[in-house]
Amino acid sequence: MAEPPIAERSAGGRLFRRGARRVRRTVVRRRRLFTYLAILGPGMITANAGNDAGGIATFASVGADFGYRLLWILIPITISLGIVQEMSARMGAVTGKGLADLIRERFGVRWTALVMLSLLIANGGITVSEFVGIAAATELFGVPRFVSVPLAAISIWWLVVKGTYQRVERVFLLMSLVFLGYIVSAFLARPDWGTVAAEIVRPSFSFDHFYLFTFLAIVGTTISPYMQVFVQSSVVEKGVTAEDYPRTRTDVWVGTVFAMMIAFFIVVSTAATLHQYGIRVDSAEDAARALRPLAGANAETLFAIGLFGASMLAAGVLPLATAYSISEALGFEKGVSRSFREAPIFLGTFTFLVAVGAAIAVIPNLPLIRVLLVTQVINGLLLPVTLFAILRLINDRELMGAYVNGRLYNLGAWLTTILVTALSLLFIVITLFPGLNPV
Amino acid sequence: MLYLSQVLSRPIRDLEGERVATVKDVIVRLGDDDHPPVTGLVARYRRRDFFVPRWTITELNEQGVRLNSDILDLRPFVRREGEVLLARDVLDKQLIDVDGKRVVRVNDVQIIHAAGEWRVTGADVSLQGLWRRLAPAGFLGARKPVEVIDWADVGYLATDAATVQLKSSSDKLARLHPVEIARLAEALSYHHGSEVVESLDDETAAETLEEMPSETQARILGDMDEERAADILEWMSPDEAADVLGDLPEEKAEELFGLMEHEEQAEVAELLPYEDDTAGGLMTTEFVTLPRDLSVGEALARLREMAETPNMIYYLYVVEREGSWRLLGVIALRSLILADPAVPLAEVMRTEYQTAHPDDPAKETAQRMAEYNLLALPVVDEAGDILGIITVDDAMEILIPNDWRQRLPRLFS
Repeated sequence: MAEPPIAERSAGGRLFRRGARRVRRTVVRRRRLFTYLAILGPGMITANAGNDAGGIATFASVGADFGYRLLWILIPITISLGIVQEMSARMGAVTGKGLADLIRERFGVRWTALVMLSLLIANGGITVSEFVGIAAATELFGVPRFVSVPLAAISIWWLVVKGTYQRVERVFLLMSLVFLGYIVSAFLARPDWGTVAAEIVRPSFSFDHFYLFTFLAIVGTTISPYMQVFVQSSVVEKGVTAEDYPRTRTDVWVGTVFAMMIAFFIVVSTAATLHQYGIRVDSAEDAARALRPLAGANAETLFAIGLFGASMLAAGVLPLATAYSISEALGFEKGVSRSFREAPIFLGTFTFLVAVGAAIAVIPNLPLIRVLLVTQVINGLLLPVTLFAILRLINDRELMGAYVNGRLYNLGAWLTTILVTALSLLFIVITLFPGLNPV
Repeated sequence: MLYLSQVLSRPIRDLEGERVATVKDVIVRLGDDDHPPVTGLVARYRRRDFFVPRWTITELNEQGVRLNSDILDLRPFVRREGEVLLARDVLDKQLIDVDGKRVVRVNDVQIIHAAGEWRVTGADVSLQGLWRRLAPAGFLGARKPVEVIDWADVGYLATDAATVQLKSSSDKLARLHPVEIARLAEALSYHHGSEVVESLDDETAAETLEEMPSETQARILGDMDEERAADILEWMSPDEAADVLGDLPEEKAEELFGLMEHEEQAEVAELLPYEDDTAGGLMTTEFVTLPRDLSVGEALARLREMAETPNMIYYLYVVEREGSWRLLGVIALRSLILADPAVPLAEVMRTEYQTAHPDDPAKETAQRMAEYNLLALPVVDEAGDILGIITVDDAMEILIPNDWRQRLPRLFS
């Protein structure tokens, strides 16, 4: 072969020349910064999304109404939440598909319709609770809800559809960090730590309607059906595979424990500040009082900021996530960049949820905190549907291969599902027949 | 016209009209046909599945199935090579619609009886198809328009049955632009996305991979057969290939690197030492150099003769002499074409031009390219030797924010 006329790409020669200077013949791994940080995420974010308006209201009520008595629930529920979230994350990593996808592909149309309907109702309920949270937060600033809620709904709709929501999202996320203040507040309130410690490990139970109601609200706000869908989708989105799954598992568990820690401190601080004086949480002002040890007179402002941020965040993300799940399961065009003509189901679901959520939240004289609790109860009631689907999928060897549940794990998961189902049924029975008291 | 949902669970009757079983699934043979023929049924009787071959079926419609004999062969059903079960493998699964360039989910399957054969003609992806399966037959709204994708446009079927990939599917996919193939593959689960890339020929696979995030590229190539992965790497541009190798675990990267052809391997090797976020990490080694004493006419002739013309020839780099890398000037292709063919390059080249050092930060370098409106920027070391060039597409990737580049918002992160 003749010498090439132009010194075009005679890479071999060049390599030889430069070899002396800097080329290493071995393949150098170029390290990517933040690979670890990038993968640490879905579990943490999802678990803490649980501490939204409904979550704050629920745990504040728990502390105010029952003092430390219900603290013991937090440990088993942390374990249950961890197990459920971990299963969903694992399914995402192993199959690379969302929960809605899997339900559709394995169980067919009828099951999909049932699960999607319950998801729509549950998420619709939570969306209402987020707008209620917005209403409560802005009313603390003296802005009436019939002004703030429609404004919030329109701006959320606009931001999401115009695709700029992500940038605003961070602001809301930062605002919701205020709730970390409950941790400080709990310490400043000087609770009786001895009692706290004792109540954590001493289970109590009652067939009292209000007790069951609160119990179910805790379950509903902690293990919400959307969280499983959410964590699985984000694991898929992040491109986590079966091989790099262990990191995600750590992330899920750390996130779960962290989220429940915050819940714990909310209960402790409200118990120490409100229950002590027999104050019940009926409004956002009451819930804000638990921050007084930290912020004094500014407690309300601080609480309002946190509540507003958390609620705005979830009021955008939840309807969007629901619209994604439903379009995904039914196989329709999805994505906020589509027009109404291209993706009617996707944008329709999103718009519907935002509109209904806002519409219910502006109803005058709505007992805000009560509504928040009721939506969490609805969540708890619908949870078994999702849990059964998850359990069937995770133990499907054809789907999960070697990644099916272990025996002990299955025991925990089934126990959670059965207990939640039993609790839901018991609550329905007691609601329908108030006179009936099994004890 | 018949839909799969109208056949499933319907009774199978023998010659006498006696009900002998129910339809569990419809078997189709995928081959070169645009519309694959039905080759039989999976029948279910007392919790056992058995095979009903096509030649015993005389009727197949909404009422059910009619057989031409009284004798049923109760041998259990075993799937054969190239066969697809419509209910199990196709219904509710995703597929790539090459015509509409999108991923859709199959709500129902359309079957047409023509010339003595039942053939799968299309996949119903409309709401109507779902409704047909949810609501009882004859329920209101049963006659709304349906949206059916012609089976001939099915580029890929995202199913877990290993042997069923459509033979002609990669040809159909290859009709799409690599950018589109990449987008569609990413819309599927990662297993199926890899399968799509693997089904393509080496060149298309390389182009498709280049359109994906480098982590995805690394995952797909890392899971692939090593020889195949190395072949695809050879087709990729050296800078992209270097990026992928950098993202792979060290052992795997070395193995793939070792399997590459010598020439491509050498090019990639040059780029490997540079950090990702430097000008060196951004550059490619595909460019054209010309000696200064060449005339404009000769230079143009050489460009034409060049066996493998690099993509970027809008700028030509003038060096001291044949085989030298010492950069003296830059000529835009435009000036070369417009210049007098007899004049030596040294007279038409520009001696004032922008360069980057391999250790310059990538972002600054990219910004400089945007400022000076450059299509490419030469990377020059301390000795004044040209090492490579940075092309505008790679610079764009640095400059345009992440969320703008993604079509779908990253909702969950």
